[in-house]
Amino acid sequence: MTKDHGGDVRLSGISKTYGSFAAVHPLDLTVPEGSFFALLGASGCGKTTTLRMIAGLEEPSSGTVSLGEQDVTRLPPHKRPVNTVFQSYALFPHLDIFENVAFGLRRRGIRSVTKQVDEMLDLVQLGEQARKKPHQLSGGQQQRVAVARALINRPKVLLLDEPLGALDLKLRRQMQLELKRIQTEVGITFVHVTHDQEEAMTMADTVAVMNAGRVEQLGSPTDLYENPRTTFVANFLGTSNLIEAEVDSKSGGAIVLKAGDGKLSLPEARCSAPATTGGRVLVGVRPEKISLTHADDAGDVPVGRNRITGKITATSFIGVSTQYVVDSSVCPEFAVYVQNIDRDPRLVPGADVVLHWSPAHTFGLDAAQSLLAGTAGSAGVETVEEEAAVR
Amino acid sequence: MTTLTEAEAPPPPAPVTPTRKPPRGRGRLVPYWLLLPGILWLLVFFALPMIYQASTSVQTGSLEEGYKVTWHFATYWHALSEYWPQFLRSVLYAGSATVLCLLLGYPLAYLIAFRAGRWRNLILILVIAPFFTSFLIRTLAWKTILADGGPVVGALNSLHVLDVTGWLGITAGDRVLATPLAVVCGLTYNFLPFMILPLYTSLERIDGRLHEAAGDLYATPFTTFRKVTFPLSMPGVVSGTLLTFIPASGDYVNADLLGSADTRMVGNVIQTQFLRILDYPTAAALSFLLMAAILIMVTLYIRKSGTEDLV
Repeated sequence: MTKDHGGDVRLSGISKTYGSFAAVHPLDLTVPEGSFFALLGASGCGKTTTLRMIAGLEEPSSGTVSLGEQDVTRLPPHKRPVNTVFQSYALFPHLDIFENVAFGLRRRGIRSVTKQVDEMLDLVQLGEQARKKPHQLSGGQQQRVAVARALINRPKVLLLDEPLGALDLKLRRQMQLELKRIQTEVGITFVHVTHDQEEAMTMADTVAVMNAGRVEQLGSPTDLYENPRTTFVANFLGTSNLIEAEVDSKSGGAIVLKAGDGKLSLPEARCSAPATTGGRVLVGVRPEKISLTHADDAGDVPVGRNRITGKITATSFIGVSTQYVVDSSVCPEFAVYVQNIDRDPRLVPGADVVLHWSPAHTFGLDAAQSLLAGTAGSAGVETVEEEAAVR
Repeated sequence: MTTLTEAEAPPPPAPVTPTRKPPRGRGRLVPYWLLLPGILWLLVFFALPMIYQASTSVQTGSLEEGYKVTWHFATYWHALSEYWPQFLRSVLYAGSATVLCLLLGYPLAYLIAFRAGRWRNLILILVIAPFFTSFLIRTLAWKTILADGGPVVGALNSLHVLDVTGWLGITAGDRVLATPLAVVCGLTYNFLPFMILPLYTSLERIDGRLHEAAGDLYATPFTTFRKVTFPLSMPGVVSGTLLTFIPASGDYVNADLLGSADTRMVGNVIQTQFLRILDYPTAAALSFLLMAAILIMVTLYIRKSGTEDLV
C-alpha cells in the first residue's frame, strides 16, 4: 500500500440537484487512502446521493470526483475502480454464491478465478456455502456475500450504502466488528453511509455528519462527540444538554457565563461561537459528565465546578447506569447519566439536587441555531412550540 | 414476597388472537365446496369431450351405418402417414412465428418494463387493444393489408424484398398473400400479445438495483443484459414461447384466410375432416396426435431450459 495519497477520494465542489431541490449542496471532501470513513446523517440528508456520485450511479450536477490523480467524474460505473455494497445487497438471484463473488473478476476477463474466490469466501467465512443460491442464506450471510463480491475486485474504494440496515441489532453489532476486521485486514478505503450514529462511531476513523445536503462537521468520533460545533451534531451524536447563557466576562482563557441566576465557566478554546461580553451562547454538556449530589450535601461539591440546582422529575435504571431527568431553572429536562457504583438512595423523583461538572467538559455553541436540531422530533411546528417552551 | 405472590397469580387470560386449529365439521369442507363448480365445469366441458374423442378415434364405420368402437388403432398410423407434411408445416410455421414474436416482443417488453415511465400503462393497453376486435376480423384485415398490388406488396417489391423471400421459397412471384410468409405473419401478429405480456411481467419483476450492481462490477450494459437481465427473464421467455407456440401450432384460421392449399396446417386438416369430409375417427386421431406432439415438445423444451418456476 502506498502512502503517497494516490488513492485518496477527492470530491471538489460536488453537488446534486433534482429540479429545484438540492439533495447535496456543493461540498468538498477528501477521504484519505486506507481510512474507514463514515457519512452519517438522517434519511434524506444527501449521504446516499454523495455515495452514488462516487460510485458513478448518479451524475453530479456540478463538481468533480477524483480517485487519486484520476478524474472519474464522467466515467460510467463499470469503468471506475470502485465497488459498492448495496443497501439490500442486490445479489444476483440466479447465480450461486461462488458465481456472485466471481462476477466482477469474470467481467474483467480473468480466467482462473477459483483460488481467489475461495480465499475471499474464507475471509468472510462462507467457504461452505459456495454452491448455494442467495435466497438460501440468512441476512447476515447475504450481507457478507455482498461484501466479498465487492472486495474481491480489490477496488481503490469500497462504498457501503447502509450495509447493515436490514439486520437485527445483535447481528448488526457482530457485523460492525466483522467489517472493521476486514477493513483492517485488506487496507482498502471504506466509505460507509449510515444513519446510525453508534455504527458510525464504532467503525469509522473519520465521520462526516451530514444535514440537509451539507457536511455539518467532520472529524474523529471522539472529536465529534466531545467537541460538537453545531447543535445538530451535539444532538445527533448522543445526547447533549444545551443551556442558553449570556457572556458575563472573560478571564484567563475562560468565559464566564450567566445562566439563570447562576454562573458557568467555559474554556475559551471549547467555544465554537464568537463570545463577546453581553452576547449569547449555548452551553452544552454531555449527560455522563455530570455528577449528581443531593441538595443536603451541596456543601461537599468541590469549588470551581459548574453547578446548577434542580429537582429530579424521573429516573430510569438501565443496568450500567441510571438516567435521571432533572428540572432546573435553565433547562426543564436536564439529562444526567450516573454510573451505578454507589447509588444514593435519596436520589428519587422529587428530590432536590445539585448538578455539577468540570468546566473542561463544557462546550459552547452559536446561539443563533435551533436548540433541538438533530433530535428525534425536530421538525415542523412542534419544534417551534418546544423551543418557545424552553425559553 | 412480592415476587412469590406474582408467581402464584393465575396465568394471564388467553390471548385474543384466534388459535390456528383446523376448522371442524362443515367448516373443513368449505374448500371442497368452493372447488366443486370448477371441477364440474372441467368434467363436463373438458374430460367428457376428451373421452368421447378418444373413443371416436378408435371407431370404424360410416355415417350411414353408424360408428362402433372396434379399437382400430390403424387410424392413427393412417393419419400420420397421410398428413405428416401438414404436421411438419404446423411445427415449422408455429416455430417461426414464435421466434418472430420473441424477437419483436422482447425489445418492446423491455421498453415497457424499464424505459416507459408514465407511458407504461398506455403502451400495455395498446398491446392488449387488438383483443377488443374479433380474431377473425383482424386476420381478414391482414388479407387487405397483404392484398396483391397493395401498398405493402408494392413497397416490398420495389425494395426487392420479394426477390429474396421468393428465392427462400416463402413467397411466390409478386404475391405475399397465399404464401407461407403471409401465414407466418398472421400467426405472429395474432399471438404477439401472448409473448409480450409474460415477458413484461418477468422483466418488470427484476430489481433495478441488480443492473446497478452489475455495472458496479464492471459489466458493460450489454454484458449486464446477457448475464443478468436475460437469465432473470427466462421464466417469461419460456411461458411466452409456450403461450405462442401451443395455440399457433393448432391454429387453422390464419392458414385458411391468408394461405393456400400449399400452406395447410394440421389444424386445417382436422377442421376439414370434421366439418367437410365428416371422417370423425381420422379427425379425432389427428387431434390426439397433435396433442401428444405438443406435450412431448413442451416437456423437452422445459427440461432443456431448466425452468422449474414457470410464470
